[in-house]
Amino acid sequence: MVLYDSSTLAGSISGSSSSSSKPPPFPLQREQQQDIDGHLAGAGYKVRSSELRKVAQRLERLETAMVNSPADLSQLASDTIHYNPSDLASWVDSLLSEFALNPTCPYEFVTDPVTNRTVVNDSWTTTATNMPLVHQDVSYEEQSLNNKLPIVTAMEEDSGIRLVHMLMTCAECVQCGDFTLATSFLEDMQGLLTQINTVCGIGKVAGHFIDALSRRIFQGIGGGSIDGGSAFENEILYHHFYEACPYLKFAHFTANQAILEAFVGHECVHVVDFNLMHGLQWPALIQALALRPGGPPLLRLTGIGPPSPDGRDSLREIGLRLAELARSVNVRFAFRGVAASRLEDVKPWMLQVNPKESVAVNSIMQLHRLLGSGPNRNSPIETVLSWIRSLNPKIMTVVEQEANHNQPGFLDRFTEALHYYSTMFDSLEACSVQPDKALAEIYIQREITNVVSCEGSARVERHEPLAKWRTRLSGAGFRPLHLGSNAYKQASMLLTLFSAEGYSVEENDGCLTLGWHNRPLIAASAWQAVPDAPAEFPAPDTHRPS
Amino acid sequence: MSCCELGLFFKRFCFKLLRFAFKSSKKGEMAASNEINLNDCKMVVPLNTWVLISNFKLAYNILRRPDGTFNRHLAEFLDRRVPANANPVGGVFSFDFLIDRGTGLLSRVYRPATGEEPQLNIVDLEKPVTADVVPVIIFFHGGSFAHSSANSAIYDHLCRILVGNCKAVVVSVNYRRAPENRYPCAYDDGWTALKWVNSRSWLKSRKDSKVHIYLAGDSSGGNIVHHVALRAVESGIDVLGNILLNPMFGGQERTESEKRLDGKYFVTLRDRDWYWRAFLPEGTDRDHPACNPFGPNGRSLEGIKFPKSLVVVAGLDLIQDWQLAYVEGLKKAGQEVKLLYLEQATIGFYLLPNNDHFHVVMDEISKFVSSDC
Repeated sequence: MVLYDSSTLAGSISGSSSSSSKPPPFPLQREQQQDIDGHLAGAGYKVRSSELRKVAQRLERLETAMVNSPADLSQLASDTIHYNPSDLASWVDSLLSEFALNPTCPYEFVTDPVTNRTVVNDSWTTTATNMPLVHQDVSYEEQSLNNKLPIVTAMEEDSGIRLVHMLMTCAECVQCGDFTLATSFLEDMQGLLTQINTVCGIGKVAGHFIDALSRRIFQGIGGGSIDGGSAFENEILYHHFYEACPYLKFAHFTANQAILEAFVGHECVHVVDFNLMHGLQWPALIQALALRPGGPPLLRLTGIGPPSPDGRDSLREIGLRLAELARSVNVRFAFRGVAASRLEDVKPWMLQVNPKESVAVNSIMQLHRLLGSGPNRNSPIETVLSWIRSLNPKIMTVVEQEANHNQPGFLDRFTEALHYYSTMFDSLEACSVQPDKALAEIYIQREITNVVSCEGSARVERHEPLAKWRTRLSGAGFRPLHLGSNAYKQASMLLTLFSAEGYSVEENDGCLTLGWHNRPLIAASAWQAVPDAPAEFPAPDTHRPS
Repeated sequence: MSCCELGLFFKRFCFKLLRFAFKSSKKGEMAASNEINLNDCKMVVPLNTWVLISNFKLAYNILRRPDGTFNRHLAEFLDRRVPANANPVGGVFSFDFLIDRGTGLLSRVYRPATGEEPQLNIVDLEKPVTADVVPVIIFFHGGSFAHSSANSAIYDHLCRILVGNCKAVVVSVNYRRAPENRYPCAYDDGWTALKWVNSRSWLKSRKDSKVHIYLAGDSSGGNIVHHVALRAVESGIDVLGNILLNPMFGGQERTESEKRLDGKYFVTLRDRDWYWRAFLPEGTDRDHPACNPFGPNGRSLEGIKFPKSLVVVAGLDLIQDWQLAYVEGLKKAGQEVKLLYLEQATIGFYLLPNNDHFHVVMDEISKFVSSDC
């Protein structure tokens, strides 16, 4: 079966592991997939072979228009908002509408020089479309959903490289169950750590991985209180992570932009935040709503968070602060806190959604925690996605770590995590503010520990890449709302204001990613429930608990 | 023949047939019209190539501003990119290397998977090459100095093909671009990359414990190849060969091919001028040696140990007179150069492997880098 690179096709079918014979409604049907021009797909563009001629004609139309008034149209096109450039047909059509040009043009008729018959004149050599649909056996099509490992690395001293080798070998021993050998590697690595620079680069992150491996070997995979540290501690670490690097700022900013756009023209809006924390995301949205043309809507915010110990109602405290802010900018505001230790414990009735209001569901790095370890049909993610859909939100903003940390094989996960967190730590070097930086590192370290040393329900950091989320969300009855060039531009500009060189925003099939030195680390996407489409749950997950 | 080889053969055969059929009518059309005639380029490239290059042309028109500035944000948004992948796909794996932190110079390294290491297991990116002689091709992507990146999908694709074809390691350099970074930034970055490649112990061929380096590039990348090779000569780093695909050269004078082909095959003189103005130092003109290496401000390479060159010129490229002049300049200086002139090729023919020219060129490149064994 032909597998397409999911970064060029939204929601492709996940290959041979699917046991369902019914094609998912959202990812392209198989025949449609095979109709995509394979060569253009390799160049990053999805165009159906059957539509090539139409796209070509429209490009020609645009070109003629540009030739006739280059300055005006250039400016217009430059200022317009572009969406999902991979979908070439839509992009071209949107430019045509922007220029108020009729997309369809009258055909000309000429005599075909070969057959001497009257044909439609589009004059292109017809080689491409006359070819039988040959099986496009080009390498980029062989990339399956699960197999990408993007790595960016830098010059390391020899001992740094030796350390990486040892880490990998140790992890392999752990996977095979040879804990004795693994332990001796641990000792060697501790020794090596003393010889290399542990302040930055691989030395710093290696130390955390060595710790996590130790934990796994000596304390077992129950995890215990890894994820604990009280909710209070977690919030502090989160706050410093927010300050030290742009990942969370990017997440909030991009989600807010999308929510703002989705709420245009709506007077009663309700935002459901899956993880309120200190509510850092919301002041900006409140202020933006205050300034919107036509005046602000009535804004309700429901913040979900863990219950506070010792009688404090931290959710309510944050709600009060946000209400203060809203009052100061004349936005009618109501807050409700929903205390739950796990997202899957939340029931939709707790959110008290009013049928007349427009709902936005906001999930910043929460959905992956629902993935759980089993492939059973009613795993938490499916239940939650199902009730989100039943709320019929105007928009669901999803931000997730762009990493493949939920693979069943331990070594695969370890390798992926080693490279992902090295890159993230590297980016943190750009921050010099303390204690933000040190506490941000602890925040990240907790993630590392969870990915490496926990299993089963204790392992909550089950990050999956955008390609997989696309399939999952499409299969659950959502369709993508594309983030456009305006969001892209603003995110890029925000980066230059707040952060060091080296960060890059990229557009990926309607979603935006933020990365360090071209390695995407965090992905933001927006979704809308498809009305009345049968919600097909994705085929049973092949993940098995290790 | 495998199924896909059969399909490829069938495609090439049918392409030849149709090209022959259209050739006679095309000649008539060319003679008839001098104005911008979109029909010309439609006849000589496959439909999907036409769509790809026209899409670029349209996007690039939008990005270039008349005042010489460039809509960089929109350019980055529109560029189609792919991440590196340390897991082999089609026998090739890749990873990004930060060569210079100061300038943020990244390069993408492509290596053939030997098939020995099990997939998804220990990833040894810098494992020493094992064959007696391994060509290392330092690749500079095109984009007229302003567009594209090493991780652009079209170039990632091309580099992967080069690995397979030439049994080489390819290092694609993400050099700084104009107009934000003018001459000589791109050349400086190329030079930094060359030094880096030359000093990697894991790239040394077993035969002589040296790195067998070739420089390759298309469009502006081809131009960079020449200038980096020049710098190498003066420094003692051995470059075994230069591969220039539709290299970007120019000059103040308007040549015959520029006048004849202006606007006919995707490219206009006006856009060429814009890119030179964006790249060259302000206040200079196109006879600057970066643009016109054998022009009035250029220098002869006579007596200099310059690498042998393979220069590919597309017969429908409006700047071919400058490219041919470059070849002449090399010949006059007694340098070894092979010219591959593809009469019916347009710019960008090598971006999609769907035409004869593509395969011809890949064969030539493969021969070029293997003749030093």
